[in-house]
Amino acid sequence: MYALEKVDKRFPGVHALKAVDFHVNRGEIVGLVGENGAGKSTLMKVIYGAHQPDGGRIAIDGRAVRFQNPRQAMDHGIGMVFQEQSLIANLTVMENIFLGFERQFTAYGVIDWRAMAAAARTELAKVRLDIDPATITSRLSFAQRQLVELAKVLTIEGRVDGDLVILLDEPTSVLARAEVELLFGIVRDLTKRASFIFVSHRMDEVLELSDRIYVMKDGAVVDVVDRADADADAIQHKMVGREVDKEYYREQKQKPHGGEVLASFEGVSLEGAFEDISFELRAGEVLCLVGTEGSGREAILRALYGLRRPTSGTVTVKGRPVTRFTARDGVGRGIGYLPRERKVEGIVAGMNVHENMTLAQLPKYSVGGVLRVAAERRMARDWIDRLGIKTPSERTDCAGLSGGNQQKVVLAKWRSGGSDIFLLDHPTRGLDIGAKEDVYEMIREMSDAGAGILLVADTLEEAIGLGHTILVIKDGRFRKRFDGTPGRKPSLYDLLHHMI
Amino acid sequence: MTEFTTVTAPRLPSRERIVKWAPLLVLAFLILLFPVFEWLEDFRGGEDHFYLLDSRFFSIRNAARVAIAATPALMVALGVTFIIIMGSIDLSMEGTVSVTAVVFAFAFLAMGGTLAGHAWLAIPLALLVGAAIGFVNGVVHVKLRIPSFMASLAMGFVGTGLALLVTGGDRVRVEDEWFRSLLTVRWFSFPVMCYVALLALLAAWFIQSRTILGRNFYAIGGGEDLAKASGLNVERVRIMGFTLAGVFFALGALMAVGRIGIAETVTGKDFMFISITAVVVGGTALWGGIGGVWNTLVGVLIVNVINNGMVVIGLPSFLQDGVLGLLVIVAVVLSTNRKSISFVK
Amino acid sequence: MSFIKNFIEAETVSRRNFLLAASYGVSGAAAARMFGPGPAAAATYANPTIAWSYRNRTNPYWNEIASGGEAFVRSLGMSNDDLTHLINEGSSEKSLADVKALLAKTDGALALAIDTNDAPNARPVVEACAGAGAYVSTLWNKTDDLHPWDFGDNYVSHMTWSDEGPAEQTARILLEAMGGKGGVVHLGGIASNNPAIERLNGLKNALVDYPDVELLDAQPADWDTQKANRIMSSFITRYGDEITGVHCANDTIGYGVLEALRAEGMDVPIVTYDGNPQAVDLVREGRILATVFTNPHWGGGITAALAYHAAIGTFKPSREPRAHREFYGPTIMVTPRDAAEFKANYLDDVPTYDWNDFWGPTNGQIMYK
Repeated sequence: MYALEKVDKRFPGVHALKAVDFHVNRGEIVGLVGENGAGKSTLMKVIYGAHQPDGGRIAIDGRAVRFQNPRQAMDHGIGMVFQEQSLIANLTVMENIFLGFERQFTAYGVIDWRAMAAAARTELAKVRLDIDPATITSRLSFAQRQLVELAKVLTIEGRVDGDLVILLDEPTSVLARAEVELLFGIVRDLTKRASFIFVSHRMDEVLELSDRIYVMKDGAVVDVVDRADADADAIQHKMVGREVDKEYYREQKQKPHGGEVLASFEGVSLEGAFEDISFELRAGEVLCLVGTEGSGREAILRALYGLRRPTSGTVTVKGRPVTRFTARDGVGRGIGYLPRERKVEGIVAGMNVHENMTLAQLPKYSVGGVLRVAAERRMARDWIDRLGIKTPSERTDCAGLSGGNQQKVVLAKWRSGGSDIFLLDHPTRGLDIGAKEDVYEMIREMSDAGAGILLVADTLEEAIGLGHTILVIKDGRFRKRFDGTPGRKPSLYDLLHHMI
Repeated sequence: MTEFTTVTAPRLPSRERIVKWAPLLVLAFLILLFPVFEWLEDFRGGEDHFYLLDSRFFSIRNAARVAIAATPALMVALGVTFIIIMGSIDLSMEGTVSVTAVVFAFAFLAMGGTLAGHAWLAIPLALLVGAAIGFVNGVVHVKLRIPSFMASLAMGFVGTGLALLVTGGDRVRVEDEWFRSLLTVRWFSFPVMCYVALLALLAAWFIQSRTILGRNFYAIGGGEDLAKASGLNVERVRIMGFTLAGVFFALGALMAVGRIGIAETVTGKDFMFISITAVVVGGTALWGGIGGVWNTLVGVLIVNVINNGMVVIGLPSFLQDGVLGLLVIVAVVLSTNRKSISFVK
Repeated sequence: MSFIKNFIEAETVSRRNFLLAASYGVSGAAAARMFGPGPAAAATYANPTIAWSYRNRTNPYWNEIASGGEAFVRSLGMSNDDLTHLINEGSSEKSLADVKALLAKTDGALALAIDTNDAPNARPVVEACAGAGAYVSTLWNKTDDLHPWDFGDNYVSHMTWSDEGPAEQTARILLEAMGGKGGVVHLGGIASNNPAIERLNGLKNALVDYPDVELLDAQPADWDTQKANRIMSSFITRYGDEITGVHCANDTIGYGVLEALRAEGMDVPIVTYDGNPQAVDLVREGRILATVFTNPHWGGGITAALAYHAAIGTFKPSREPRAHREFYGPTIMVTPRDAAEFKANYLDDVPTYDWNDFWGPTNGQIMYK
């Protein structure tokens, strides 16, 4: 009924979708799984019209279609239930449901609220939600909002003649088990009038709900399995595409560390983020923080760097307790920080490579406030060679570099400044495999050179492969410490067990 | 594994490349446009006219006139360029120019009234006053956390008020031959003030490209959070930026007094529109991080060439303001990359 | 500190009474007026607030007007601070709102001199004053259908200037200096301003008698020195040596023109208007051929004086002829020949005017076209 044929999508530096074939039958629930960065979200965006494919074709009932925007996709019966909920919190439920489609209730620009409320009740009944449509959305529970979101998408039904395709992007990530059951019940009921595409990280849920499962890896569909043949382990293998590869993470290069303590936390708490965290980071050590999203890992990095002031406990860096928590002091203590969103916090767009590299240590490249640009450029060229940064020259605007190369520029920025403690927050997020390897290589190299590295890895495999030590954090509290020496490394399931 | 590694094309995309040079192209276009109208006029009058050769607009003497008109505005626009690169805005120029002009004139007359004597001290004094106003501006903006446009606008009114207080509404004439040689003495057809402006422009360029301060302006404009995370003292840089802008406003005031020999409360009038317009037309982004002093030079020239050209081709006066507005919009459309529409608020 | 204030107030009142008595020569009459309204329909006040409402003091012209008002107040034995300044900053709405606020505060005991910023605003201002029993004299702006005599005593007078005649005179001086041939350019005020239109008309009237002089161009310079400077240099580009004379709508414009000419090393005769002190100096030096003095100092003083004396009952406006209710202000031509004398008489030493000679220097009743 709805089909993608050989759909291609490229972004600068990334080939996000590679000749993807994908179809949904009438009344079917299709699961979509893959690792972070496998191309799931790009595929979803192509389906609901937020992205336009560069190649291939999209067909509904055999007729080719092309959506310029989500609104056009909606007109063809395709709706998206967003992971980050798209409801506007200060509007009423009915206003949210009919946002952008109020015209059906207006006469000369005046809204007939009673008619809208009645229509909203009908929509809410479809998702078995018995609430007053005039309720302000922010008063609803999270699960209720998820259902309102679904009800909103279901209004497409009234506007479209053909069949519906509804995308569910991680709808269960924040729901309790009972709520998940309820949602699944509703979805199964609704298959009478709609098909669903269900994206989730929770393999068991995908297996439970889906009729068919697409497995994606590196922008391509690597397998399609029917529920009857589905097996969690096999699918996970397909997703990862390999055994946890020792070579891949340069495990053989992992050397024992035995350096002095560079930084330590002693019973450090930060209200609302983490509590009573203690650890030591030694020279040459790669210390991985493992936990789910929101478990407090990022806040620990930011507290060590100086961007957040802990509410209690002692942070010690290089033997001295930290009393001043500013980024400036963090830089002064020799800490380099790679934030998660490079575009937002990593590089200054509009500034070129050498300007970005020296940003944190301009005084070192200046005399009396006047810059020694030649020295800057020399240093930048040197690091471009050492890290193999692919850039035409040190004077190229950083915004034009690929993600991996931007990441290297940020690393060079801290390494050239002589930092020896590195806080890496998802350093490989959004990078393709070649670039990821480069980053792993650099992490090993820095650790060999005696730097202490605190890593929040993008995947558990990364953490296992790279870490000397792995700390599991759950809900802001320390759960378990694993030794990461080759041969003694914990398994994925060991970690997961403590994470969730 | 190399098949996965894609290298971004090394050169700028052509659209960006065009945008980068667009202001200069707009300027060149305008310079070639006005003589066409002159030619048309003479052609209709049945006179011989050889396009550029016989153009009164396209002549050294007119270039000097445009340059004289542009000089004070250029100084003011340079000052505000730094602020706009930081992603802030400074609207205090009218008040700052007025008060520094008036202070300069009074000090100049009080100290003997001629550059040959002690009165030259009035020049550094005026620059200091400009710096002080800018400094207060920056402190109010940063320490009291008032948006820069509001803080500076308010400071501008304070400046105008001070100027009125000092003059009581009178004009102050600065007639010293030495000082007025800014206008009256010419080297290679251009008066001295144009060379002073050139020096100031080079100084601004040096600050922009060769000092920590200039680099920090760009860092703050391009990503304030990152600048902070890189250990920059953003507050201090902002205050220094406003102080520097104040110095350039004071330079603008000196040029304005040098041009017409009068300091008064209205000396700063119209500088806000012309300087902000010039900066934007020149291609410096209002959201910060992009552009620089050369863009501003081109922008100031564009605005002044339009002003001069309209009179030279005899455009009816009631059309001039409208045409200036339209040309400014066209110039902005051509010379800025409005893809990041987030600033359009 | 209040005792000081009380003392000063008491002192001014007694001095005023004394002066009043002196000006009348009948102390009893003045004393009688102190203790009750006279027999006339409109109430008079012994001690009305005196106010001047105008654009702002940044403008030298309005600064002169205001200083005239202050001189009048001083002549009553009060201090400058006893003149209330209402600054409209070019806003008619603010002008009216301020007047209403002051009327409420003074309960009608007000002698108001005002330029209402634009003509339509004059009616609401006058009506508000008349309604509150205050006395108002207007300057410059009012509509042609609004007349003091329609409001009994409360709308005391209106003074304006016709600039066409004087501007024509300066134009003739300029055209003579040009030898009756060549090209002239005009730099005007804000295009829609009445004086700007009249001053250009004056030039056009004069040109009728000089067929060999061409009006090359006329552009508004918005009364602004810097804009005038810019436009003049553009004129020089466009017309070059064809320009043999410049007619400026006021002195401020003239300064910008002179500097543009100086930058080019050109020496072309120019005439201006308003008779500001610096322009008079330039006339004396021969760099400006002529300017017209409208005596804003006197205008500012006499407008306040008319309102004040009507308010205290010195004269009864409704008994005065119409030429005393609507009239043209004085104009004095300043040329190099008489500039020194003029400067000595009017500027170096501001003359002490007789603020009771309300109509002596005026130029007759306003004629409507």
